[in-house]
Amino acid sequence: MESILELRDLSKRYGDHVAVEGLSFAVPRGSIFGLLGPNGAGKTTTIRMVMRIILPDRGEVLLDGSPVDDDRRRLIGYLPEERGLYRKMKVLDHLVFLGTVRGVPPREARRRSAAWLEKFGLGEWADHKVEDLSKGMQQKVQFIGTILHRPQLLILDEPFSGLDPINTRELKDLMLAMREEGVTIVLSTHVLPQVDELCDHICLINRARPILAGNLEEIRERFGGRTWEVDGDFGREALARLPQVEAVHGLRDRYLLDLRPEAAPRDVLTALLELGEVTHFARFVPDLENIFIRAVEEDQSHAA
Amino acid sequence: MLHRIVAIVRREYLERIRTRAFWVSTLLVPLFMGAMMVIPAWLAERGGGEFTVAVLDLSGRFAGPVKAEVEKRLASSDEKLSVHLAIVDPGADPEATREALKGRVQKGEFDGLLVLPAGLPDQGEPEYLAPNVAAFKLLMILERSVNDALVADRLTRAGLDPEKVSELTRRVDLKTFKLGKKGEETRDEGQGFLLSYGFMLIIYMSVLMYGIYVMRGVLEEKTNRIVEVVIATVKPFELMLGKILGIGAVGLTQFSLWGIALAAITAPGAMAALGFAGVELPSLPPLLLVFFVVFFVLGFLLYGTLYAGIGAAFDTEQEAQNFQTLVTLMLVVPLVLMVQILNQPDGTLSVVLSLVPFFAPMLMFLRMTLTPVPAWQLAAAVAGLLAAIVACAWVVGKIYRVGILMHGSKPTFKDMVRWVREA
Repeated sequence: MESILELRDLSKRYGDHVAVEGLSFAVPRGSIFGLLGPNGAGKTTTIRMVMRIILPDRGEVLLDGSPVDDDRRRLIGYLPEERGLYRKMKVLDHLVFLGTVRGVPPREARRRSAAWLEKFGLGEWADHKVEDLSKGMQQKVQFIGTILHRPQLLILDEPFSGLDPINTRELKDLMLAMREEGVTIVLSTHVLPQVDELCDHICLINRARPILAGNLEEIRERFGGRTWEVDGDFGREALARLPQVEAVHGLRDRYLLDLRPEAAPRDVLTALLELGEVTHFARFVPDLENIFIRAVEEDQSHAA
Repeated sequence: MLHRIVAIVRREYLERIRTRAFWVSTLLVPLFMGAMMVIPAWLAERGGGEFTVAVLDLSGRFAGPVKAEVEKRLASSDEKLSVHLAIVDPGADPEATREALKGRVQKGEFDGLLVLPAGLPDQGEPEYLAPNVAAFKLLMILERSVNDALVADRLTRAGLDPEKVSELTRRVDLKTFKLGKKGEETRDEGQGFLLSYGFMLIIYMSVLMYGIYVMRGVLEEKTNRIVEVVIATVKPFELMLGKILGIGAVGLTQFSLWGIALAAITAPGAMAALGFAGVELPSLPPLLLVFFVVFFVLGFLLYGTLYAGIGAAFDTEQEAQNFQTLVTLMLVVPLVLMVQILNQPDGTLSVVLSLVPFFAPMLMFLRMTLTPVPAWQLAAAVAGLLAAIVACAWVVGKIYRVGILMHGSKPTFKDMVRWVREA
């Protein structure tokens, strides 16, 4: 698949602290791409390097196949995690300002801003000061500011933080609608259920390095293919002793069994029934949280 | 690139011009300055009134001469002031009479009580008692009249003719002329200087005020967290430049409004129409006005850049306090050095000080009002300022670039040096 954004071996250090190390991934055009990782993993630094707010020590960023420079970065719609508005400005004036610094002519910026405010149900707030708006409304204004110049690539850093469930739903729907129109969205977050719903592709960063990247379906398959979810009248030690089982993980009130490649699920069930009563036995479909935790755990144990 | 800076400048300019604070300060400053110029002249014009003063003469021989002196003074002055002296007989018990008179002064029968002690002119000191001892005109006339009467008495006793002495010791006043470059002589008794001094203070206050606006603006963007949104499309340096230019334009707008107001009231007939007939306002040569604007602009660019750097480096105004004070101090130094310039506007030290970029906006301007400054010195001051602005913008630009994204621990001077090196 053709990629709209490509990162090659991106690295950044601050003194002795490694913020990002050897990060490469490609964002397919028209996808919603999840950039995931625990707090402090290097997500924001990575995005800031894409936006040239921070310059990388090494590596390059390609947009539509050519390096991003100070002019071309304006083709990207960027909503930073650290976002805010001028509190004393009127909402419409503020949007016009955000549009014009992104290169939209003032009249056009005014027209588009007014239309978007209507669409988000903020039409009557156009002449109010930003500080009169609720936090949710301010976030909508910020989002409108991000898309006023009709970017083909959106980079949203923790876009759902501070939004209530209704606004979150609205923003998700909007993102899905924009994908339908061909807009590519890079979504950086550590809140995984949202990614599960939205993303086609992900890149997982931990401790400044990428540890997992690719199509989400394929990743699910890879992590879930040999894993079964069980519950019943037996303990962890007994499960671990089964010859077909490679590893046991606890999952809430159940266990996850990673089977050995040659093991047949039917044999496992038979073995379980010998241990005690089985109340649950099903192929495990991992949600992103599981993948995330396991990938991070594995990465940690490699490091140890 | 240009339209993005324009968008920043436009926002800074319009948002500030629309505030009430801008219009209040634009209106109040000229009103205040106007009042400072006009009210003293107006008071001098009007100061008058009628006073009745009781005179208790314990010496028994000075009441008459004092009264004569007072009348002589009143007759020779064109003040609308009338002073009536009521000479009271001390009677048998002067102390009691004095107490009685004090009571009558308090009741308002007299405006004051003048006591001439018995030992005059060699012993004792004349006294004046009144509820209002701030009626300067009256006090001055009384004091001088008593003085003249006593001195005349001493002169006569020494065998001299008071008339003769007063004629021989007549005061001599220096007529001062400001000598221009082409040898023209302008009568100047200090009004010209006072006005220039006022203008220099305006440079000082405006650079300080608008410089601090820049700092607050940068701090606001940082604490509001809007800065990252903006620098994702505009370079940090462009944002800084746009802010400084926008705020500078607000300053120039304010000066223009003041200029228009000044032109209106100095127009022929305007003062008379306002009811201040006869009040003469001093005027400033056009060249000085031009340099006033030039030095404000350059001074603001220099200090505005420094204040922008401080705003970027810190999170709050409290944290920025030390560095802010340091920069503000540089702006205050010229006010302290002013005496040196006043005494020797052409002295080596004055010339050198007025060429230092951080002092030049005020000191060079002040020198220009005092003495014909050679063109090369003006050129050197302007060039030095431009060079300093570029150098500061270069260093501060780096601090700004790193600082605006920094939150949390307060940076030290060492940190900032490192930012400049690494950025």
